[in-house]
Amino acid sequence: MLFHTWPFLIFLLVVLPMFFALRKTRLWLPWLTLASYFFYGWWNPYYLLLVIYSTLLDFGLVALMDHCPVDGKRVNVMGRLTRLRFDDRVLKIAFLGSAFAALGILALAVVGPKTLRPTMAGFSVLVLLMALGALYSSRKIWLLISLVNNLALLIFFKYARFFVENLNVAFSWVHLPLKLADPSTLMPLGFQYLLPVGISFFTFQSLSYTIDFYFGKVHRERNLLRFATFVCFFPQLMAGPIERARNLLPQFNQFPPVRLQNFTDGASLFLVGLFKKLALANYLAFYVERVYDNPSAFGAPALFLATVAFGWQIFFDFSGYTDMARGVAKLMGFNLILNFNNPYLATGLGDFWSRWHISLSSWFRDYVYIPLGGNRGGTLLTYRNLFITFFISGIWHGANWTFMIWGILHGLGVLITRELERAEFYRERVPKLLKQFGVFLFVTFTWIFFRADSLGDAMLIVRRIFTATWQDPQIPALMLLLIAFIWLYQFLYESKVREVLATGLVRVSLAAFMLLYLCVCSSGGGAFIYFQF
Amino acid sequence: MEIISPTPKPINTAASPEGVPAPVPAPAPVPFGVNEMRLNARQWVATLLIVGFVLLLTPWLWERIERFDTGPDYRIPYSLSKDYWLYGRRMGQVVGHNQTIVLGDSVVWGEYVAPDGTLSHFLNKEAGTTNRFVNMGINGMFPLAQEGLVEYYGKSLRNQKVILQCNVLWMTSPKADLSLDKEDVFNHSSLVPQFSPRIPCYKADASERLSVVVQREVGFLQWVGHLQNAYFDQKNIAVWTLEEDGASSPPTHPNSYKNPLAQITLVVPSAPLDNPQRGPKSPRHKPWSTDGKGTTRFEWVGLDASLQWHAVQLTVNRLIARGNDVLVVLGPFNEHLMAEDNRQEFHKIRDGILLWLNEKKIPTIVPETLPSELYADASHPLTAGYELLAKHIYADDRFRSWQK
Repeated sequence: MLFHTWPFLIFLLVVLPMFFALRKTRLWLPWLTLASYFFYGWWNPYYLLLVIYSTLLDFGLVALMDHCPVDGKRVNVMGRLTRLRFDDRVLKIAFLGSAFAALGILALAVVGPKTLRPTMAGFSVLVLLMALGALYSSRKIWLLISLVNNLALLIFFKYARFFVENLNVAFSWVHLPLKLADPSTLMPLGFQYLLPVGISFFTFQSLSYTIDFYFGKVHRERNLLRFATFVCFFPQLMAGPIERARNLLPQFNQFPPVRLQNFTDGASLFLVGLFKKLALANYLAFYVERVYDNPSAFGAPALFLATVAFGWQIFFDFSGYTDMARGVAKLMGFNLILNFNNPYLATGLGDFWSRWHISLSSWFRDYVYIPLGGNRGGTLLTYRNLFITFFISGIWHGANWTFMIWGILHGLGVLITRELERAEFYRERVPKLLKQFGVFLFVTFTWIFFRADSLGDAMLIVRRIFTATWQDPQIPALMLLLIAFIWLYQFLYESKVREVLATGLVRVSLAAFMLLYLCVCSSGGGAFIYFQF
Repeated sequence: MEIISPTPKPINTAASPEGVPAPVPAPAPVPFGVNEMRLNARQWVATLLIVGFVLLLTPWLWERIERFDTGPDYRIPYSLSKDYWLYGRRMGQVVGHNQTIVLGDSVVWGEYVAPDGTLSHFLNKEAGTTNRFVNMGINGMFPLAQEGLVEYYGKSLRNQKVILQCNVLWMTSPKADLSLDKEDVFNHSSLVPQFSPRIPCYKADASERLSVVVQREVGFLQWVGHLQNAYFDQKNIAVWTLEEDGASSPPTHPNSYKNPLAQITLVVPSAPLDNPQRGPKSPRHKPWSTDGKGTTRFEWVGLDASLQWHAVQLTVNRLIARGNDVLVVLGPFNEHLMAEDNRQEFHKIRDGILLWLNEKKIPTIVPETLPSELYADASHPLTAGYELLAKHIYADDRFRSWQK
């Protein structure tokens, strides 16, 4: 279900009043969970099972982790194995349950249908690991299971086909008589092999909870419904922002305060997001698609402008989604974190990444960059860590070489600008505007790899931008006008005259303009770009 | 990735899971956003008042400032067939003037003929007037869409004399009846029922269907449709700025640098005076049999199962409920085109229609089949065919008594 469609409006008109009607009962939370599952199931009811599975497993794993000693004291494994002597009843049950379940699943794998065998074998390994976790009372094993499980889901649905295709090409290069089967053949019970919308978001969110609990950053959530709502909270389920348990989970402890300001703020956020998506992103998409679908037919100016247009398209599309998500959550009284902060006004690439997709950037910072060592091992190690983090971030965006190149370019860009920022001349003398322009140009350049259908197309576009002859780009004047207007607004917002934008007259005029523009000129539906990630 | 130096505290905590868990810090306050678009309640009320005022006033004002030249034999131009707001406006113009509205599909509109070769023109001629019979047919219309057109855009059609043309062509096959399950793209899909009765071949998603429902109810959105139809080649304004010429590769976009506002001339476009596609001089204006086509067997859809017939019934009921005096013209169907063994089924359907109309006491005329050479296809007459048809209708006693 997309925020900018009528079914969503109807959904909201049902969910919101009921949510408020239930505020004095204990049913508001189950209602929210149910609404979130319905929201996700609207796209594909079968893949709802994945969300539920991920939720149950991480909830259970953290509960088991909570039963293991934090001081890591040694346990008598042999005693537990031979005499089933456990200090903790829950761990004993977990051990026995997992051991028997592993055997049962293995038996099913042997006697069951062939198509189910790989899935069953994978499950039996996972369940066996659970038995080991209980046997050793090891929080590490529980964490490992959560990591393996969430990442395995992600890898299977998002990257398996890419890996298989590339491995098959590699096999044929070295004349190996091997050919791996397409991952769709592993789908049990005839389910379709589709990329579940939002899988990268809800798995990361769920995973962050187990990691944070492991490191003592959050308390264990004992209420399954509350945890389930945290994982599948419908405003941010499909494309973030990726929330942290310490921000969102406590908000589900009690019914949020009902204030008029929540409605006005939520509606303001939603309107801005809707305008970004329908009036700007979808409009820019027409031009971008035209040029990028057939890059060899266009000259340098069109290719360059289409790339710039894509930079704005993806910003409006994604930040528009986030604004709408935050707006919807706010209507109910919940606060989701800020995900974009005028990124195209960044003065350095580091600054850019602290303004663009903030929830993902901070996720990678906390769960990849810092565990790798962060900036604690000297310059070379810091750069290595940064580079690895950006490379993984590139892969996160999609199973394609173009995303990897995009990640690598950003990694290199961050290293270079970091070095530049050490130089006093660059820091003190280079005008801010020039830095902003430089960052914008670099980021725009990298979008070529992000948007192009293939590496070949991306290289072709780069080559043609620098070598092709002049050709009238025919970018609509209206489009340029809208972009210039937004840019100007953002500059004003970060300038000394920001107060002007806060006057009632400007706000009301802009809101009325946006609403009327949406009625007259909006460019139809279309899914959000980040749904594919 | 944010590359600001990470604070050491979380790292220390992270490095020692064996230690006692640190107290969980309270979440930091969440900033509202990164722009000043944060309206308070009073500002929202002001915004909604302004927007509401514009939404209500614009279509009303537009009707008064936009020139709409009609005159005798006016029919909604082919290019504006989907401009339902204009249709409603035209309807508003013609009702209440003792005129007879002729409703129907392209048979009434005159697919192969010029405006002065249509049924309403010749009915006017028979009556010795120029504007008693008003052509309110729409090109590409069919009963399921006609019903929507009358319901949503013909609300001003009340207490009026109405001739409703019923074309059995729409029951000649499950495809024409729109009752096939295979997805089909058809004209005027935004006029057909979106949810009930279910049209099997119409596969729009829920969002699209709801969009249609909203558009039907909000006058301002209908007016936006009019803007798009009348001034922007039936396109959304944003899409119009990127319109391709379709001739060159890479395509050129003639509207890229145009000012969209300059397109709005405040004059409703009229049909070209000499349309090469229509009228006696057009190469299309010829008898159906000249291309050597033989007879056809139709897969008639029974009245009980026909979606289109059901829509005709609803249209008739709606028109009557609004106080209109309705006369139905059943035909003119080209029976020459039908295989001999197929006629019995046709007659059965025609009799069924007549029976229902008689039960409802609706005056009905079934004009006798025109000579073969006066049909352009299965249901559209040529100019001379319309003339003859008008004569038949006008001479019919039921018509005369209905006219009084």
